[in-house]
Amino acid sequence: MWESTVDGRVLHFHLAGINNQNFIMRDEETGSWWQQVSGKAIHGPLQGHQLKSVFHDEVSFAIWKREQPQGRVLKPDDRIATANKYEKPNWEEQVGKMRVVEGTDVDKRIEPRALVIGVAVDGKSVAYPLSVLQQQSPIIDMVGSTAIVLALGEDRRSVRAFERTVEGRRLEFFQKTDGGGFQLVDAETGSTWSFEGKATTGPLAGKQLKKVFVLEDYWFDWRLYHPDTRLYDLK
Amino acid sequence: MPNLLTRLSHWANKHRKLVWLTLLLLIAIVMSVVLTPVFLIMPFKAQTSRTLEVAYVMRRWSPVVTVLASLLILTLTIRLWLGGRWWSRIVLLLLLVPVFAATWLARQNHFEWMFNPLPNPAYAKAAAVRFINDDDRVLSVTLGNEAVAYPIRLMGYHHVVQDTVGGTPIVATY
Repeated sequence: MWESTVDGRVLHFHLAGINNQNFIMRDEETGSWWQQVSGKAIHGPLQGHQLKSVFHDEVSFAIWKREQPQGRVLKPDDRIATANKYEKPNWEEQVGKMRVVEGTDVDKRIEPRALVIGVAVDGKSVAYPLSVLQQQSPIIDMVGSTAIVLALGEDRRSVRAFERTVEGRRLEFFQKTDGGGFQLVDAETGSTWSFEGKATTGPLAGKQLKKVFVLEDYWFDWRLYHPDTRLYDLK
Repeated sequence: MPNLLTRLSHWANKHRKLVWLTLLLLIAIVMSVVLTPVFLIMPFKAQTSRTLEVAYVMRRWSPVVTVLASLLILTLTIRLWLGGRWWSRIVLLLLLVPVFAATWLARQNHFEWMFNPLPNPAYAKAAAVRFINDDDRVLSVTLGNEAVAYPIRLMGYHHVVQDTVGGTPIVATY
């Protein structure tokens, strides 16, 4: 997700190639090639330019609908839909079985196609296996010198991360398991927090945790772009 | 100038073999400048930055190179056609087919054949959506006061969708 304005000019992008699981896009205006995963122009007149990233989440439609009832949703192209070219609902299962490209540095601590939640802050990166998060949510951790909390949504699949320092105070979180739904509570004040990182009750009500971008990725791919990544481990 | 052309013409007549060789060389250049990037950027193939650089340069120049080479090829083909035997004329015709195909292909984006772009994306209000299930995953962007969801099942096909959210032009990618 990138802002498409570079040096005051709005660029229009086209798919130009697939590069190691991520793709290359070409802008109509200069013909430069940009790498999707980094937003950087790797060839052409705008080589070296960096697109500004746009913060985004990956969540289930149910969660998004509830949070953004006034939002709009991209519609399918009828021709493509009729021709059955869109992914089937079980696409993740299918892709999970695909082979991994030769030539990638294979780190065997977990399966290459294990899903990890990748967090990169200030040059430090950590990969949290989804399976670990599903065993224990929230996860309290430090990425470099940034204190973060990762939380699994009610659907036990969507993940969000936030900085857990509020007004200079570092909070610890836990999940209340009585009753249903998402109940993230901080140990310091007992305030409850929504999956959007906003305190809904308690002394900190109204406060918003700073969102931290997470990338859901396959382990081998995350490691390819973050070779020094730490792999989070439940001890 | 006409003198030079006549001289070249006579020379070419005497050296048909050389002209054939040049023709074949030009055809090889056209095919390789167009097909090499296709093979270098195949999905699921490991790529280095060097291969990408080569692919970029070839793709960048192939529209021009193929047109110029095609003109030369046509000239040489005409030269060889005249005074050529029937079977050599058939060969010449057959050789022209891949040349024109490659020249045309140099101006196409075959990735967009595989993954059609979405030039005029349409959106539905959240409540009106029927084509996405509750447990389907979406990429969600909120800018200014506007929230947009890009279903991953759709983005996994189109890969690139241009949009403006909260007044900011963006390119949604997956």
